[in-house]
Amino acid sequence: MKRQVIPGCVILIIALTVSIGSVSFLGPCVHDDGSVGACHWASRSLSGLGFLALILSFLAVLLHRARFGLYLGIAGTSVLGILTPGTLISLCKMSGMHCRAVMQPAMIILFAAAGLSALFGAIVCGREKKERA
Amino acid sequence: MKIFPLSMKNLVRKPGRTTALVLLTGFLAMAVFGGSVIILSLRTGLQSLEARLGADIILVPSEAQSKVSFQNMFLQGTTGAFYMDASVTDKAMEVAGVEKAAPQTFLASLKADCCSIKIQVIGIDPSRDFTVQPWIARSLTGELGDMDVVVGCKVEAGIGEIIRIYEQRCKVAACLEPTGTGLDTAVYCNMHTMDNLLAAAEAKGVSHKISSGDDTVVSAVYIKVKDGYDIDTVNTALTGKLRKVTAVRTRSMITGVSDSLAGISRTVTMMIVVIWALAFIILLLAYILIVRERSREFAVLRLIGASRSMLSRMALLESAICGLTGGFAGSAAAAVGVFSFSALIENSLGLPYLIPGFGTILLLAAGTILLSIAVSALASAFAALRLSRVNPGTALREGN
Amino acid sequence: MLLQAENISKTFFRDSGSSNYFYAVSPLNLDIASGTLTVLMGRSGSGKTTLLNMLCGILQPTEGRVLIDETDLYSLNDAALSRLRNERTGVIPQGRSAVDTLTVLENILLPSKLYGKTVPTEKAVHWMRELEIDHLADAFPKELSGGELRRMAIIRAIVQDPDVLFADEPTGDLDDENTDRILSAFSSLARRENKAVFIVTHENDAVKYADRLFRMEKGRLEPSSPA
Repeated sequence: MKRQVIPGCVILIIALTVSIGSVSFLGPCVHDDGSVGACHWASRSLSGLGFLALILSFLAVLLHRARFGLYLGIAGTSVLGILTPGTLISLCKMSGMHCRAVMQPAMIILFAAAGLSALFGAIVCGREKKERA
Repeated sequence: MKIFPLSMKNLVRKPGRTTALVLLTGFLAMAVFGGSVIILSLRTGLQSLEARLGADIILVPSEAQSKVSFQNMFLQGTTGAFYMDASVTDKAMEVAGVEKAAPQTFLASLKADCCSIKIQVIGIDPSRDFTVQPWIARSLTGELGDMDVVVGCKVEAGIGEIIRIYEQRCKVAACLEPTGTGLDTAVYCNMHTMDNLLAAAEAKGVSHKISSGDDTVVSAVYIKVKDGYDIDTVNTALTGKLRKVTAVRTRSMITGVSDSLAGISRTVTMMIVVIWALAFIILLLAYILIVRERSREFAVLRLIGASRSMLSRMALLESAICGLTGGFAGSAAAAVGVFSFSALIENSLGLPYLIPGFGTILLLAAGTILLSIAVSALASAFAALRLSRVNPGTALREGN
Repeated sequence: MLLQAENISKTFFRDSGSSNYFYAVSPLNLDIASGTLTVLMGRSGSGKTTLLNMLCGILQPTEGRVLIDETDLYSLNDAALSRLRNERTGVIPQGRSAVDTLTVLENILLPSKLYGKTVPTEKAVHWMRELEIDHLADAFPKELSGGELRRMAIIRAIVQDPDVLFADEPTGDLDDENTDRILSAFSSLARRENKAVFIVTHENDAVKYADRLFRMEKGRLEPSSPA
C-alpha cells in the first residue's frame, strides 16, 4: 500500500511547485510597459495544469480504489504540461528571456518527473491488483 | 565463481542501503560532470569569441565607450548604436601596417515582432568584411541580398520567415551557428538594407545620425594588421591619425574575458574538489559502518567455502556497481540541469558560453562514470579487506 | 575418508589473569573416520566449539596438524583450503547462519554456486519436506523462527554431500520431534551413506546415536562410553 501512495506524495510536491512557480519565480518576465506576451498565457495554463495535477494527486493519496485511474490522469496531464510551453502556446523568440531560459525547461522537467512518478504509481497499482486477484 | 548474481541480489534486496550509496556517488558525479561542462563551455565560448572577433584592432567612435560598453555587446548582446563618418575606413587603410579594414554599422531595434526586447542589427559590407562574412558563408549559400537578414542562433525565427524592424519587412535568409557570445542575438544585413533601416528609424524619430556632409555612417571598423607589423604601433598610428575615434585592441578584450573565466574556473574547480573530498569521506564512513552490519553475512560465506579473494571481489564488485549506477544517474541529472538551463547559466555568468560538441560531452560523461566507479571502489577497499578476513567462528558466535 | 588431528592445541592471549596465555584446547589427538557418528559433549566454555572450528578448517591450531586423507589443511593456501572445505566438509554452526538477502532455497543451494557444482533442486526440496520447511522455500531468513533457521542450515550442509559433517549444537532450537528427526538423519548419513559426522552438544539426546563419545572439560578431551 505504501508503495502505491509514495508516487502520489511526490507528485503533490511537484504539482504545488508548478502551480505556484509558473506564475512567480519560474514564470515569465513582465515587460517594462506592462504588456504581456504569449508566454504570460502559457504560464497561466501551466498553473492550471499544475493545480489539476495537485487535485488528482491528493485524491490518489486518499482514494485507494480509484488510484490507478487517477495516476493515468496525472500522466496525461503531465504530457499536456510538457507540450504547453513552446509547442502548444508560443513563448518569446529570444532564448535568453526568462520564459525560455527558466520557465520552459523547469516546467518540462517538473512535468516529466510527475509523469514518470504517475506511470510508476499506475504500474505498482496494476501489479498489486493482479496479485490480489 | 559467478559472484555477479550474488552481488546483484545483495544490492537489489537491500534497497535502502543501496540507494544511499548510489545517491552519494551520484551527488559526486553530478558535481564533477556539471562543473566540468560549465568550465568547458566557458573555454569553448572564449575560443569562439577569439574566432569571431577576427580583427586585431576595432575602431569605434570615442562616444561609444561612454554610451555603452563595447565589450558587453560581444559578451552579453547588449544593444548599442553609435556612429562615425564612413571615411574612417579609407583613412584607416592609409595607415602603414593596415592590411584590411572592414566597416560595420549598428542599429538597435525598438522592438522586432519576433522579440520582446531590443535586438542588435549589424550591417556589413560583404565585399570587404573578413570577420563575419566567413561565418555567414557557412550558413548562407549565395549573396546576402537587399532586405535579407541572417539571424543569430538565439533569435527564434525560421528561414524564410519575415521579421519587422522599424516596420521594414526583412526576410530571414539563414540562421547562424551558435557562437556562445552576445552576437547570437544579433541580426546581420548588407549596407543597403542598413541604409533603409536607418532611414526608417529616422522616420520613427530615432535619430542616431551625426552631422556630416556625407550621409554615410559606420559604427565600427575592423582592422587586420599586416604580418611583420607591431599591433601596438599600428594602434598608436591609427589613434594619432583619426580624430574622435578610439582604437580598441581585441587582445585586451580577450584577456579580460580570459581572466574572468580563469577566476570562475578556479572557483568551480575548488567546489568540485571540496564536494569530492566530502563525498569520499562519507562513502568511506558508510562502508566502514557496513562492515559491522555485514560481518555475519560474510562469515557465513567463509564458512561454506568462499575464499578471501572471492569475498574481496564481491565487496568491490558491489561498490563498483553502486559507483556505476550513481555515476550514470548523477551525470544524467547534471546533464538535464546544465543543458536545460544553459541559457540561464549563460545569462548569469555574463561571459561567452558555448556548450562543447556531443563527442566531448560523451567523453566527459564516460570519464565521470569511470571516476565514480574508482572512487566507490577505493572507498570500499578497506571494508572489502576487513570483510574478507572475517573469522567465521568468532563472527557467528557474536550476537547469539 | 579419514580426518586426523595430530597433537593439536589452541592457546589464546588474555590480558587479565595470572598468566598471559591459556589453553582453550590442550594438546590432543583425534581420528574421525567415515561411517561413524562422533559426539563431543561438555559444558559451555569447555573448548568444544574451538576444537570443532580447528577440525573443520576455519581456525588454525597453535600447534599440530589437521589432515583429511593425508592432506594437511593448514598447509594449503586460502583458496585451496576454501575449495576443499566447500567440497569435502559441511558445517552447521552455532546460532544464526543465513544470508539475509537470499531466500531459504537460495541459501540452501548457495555453497554449490560458489564453485559451479550442480546440486539438484529436487534434493534440496526433498530434505526441506523431511524437515518440514518446504513451504518456506521463497521466504527470507528474517521471516523464519530460530528452529526453522537451524533446519535450513542443516539442509544446506547435507545437500552438498560432504565427506564429513560438522554440527555445533544442531538441535539447540528444536523441539523433541525435530531433534529426533535430525539426529536420525545424521545417523543415517553415517551408517548408510558412509559419511563422517561430528556433533558438538551439551544435551544428552545425541548420546544414544553416537558410535563414539567424548567429553571435554577445561580444554581437555576425554573419551567416554556411549552406553
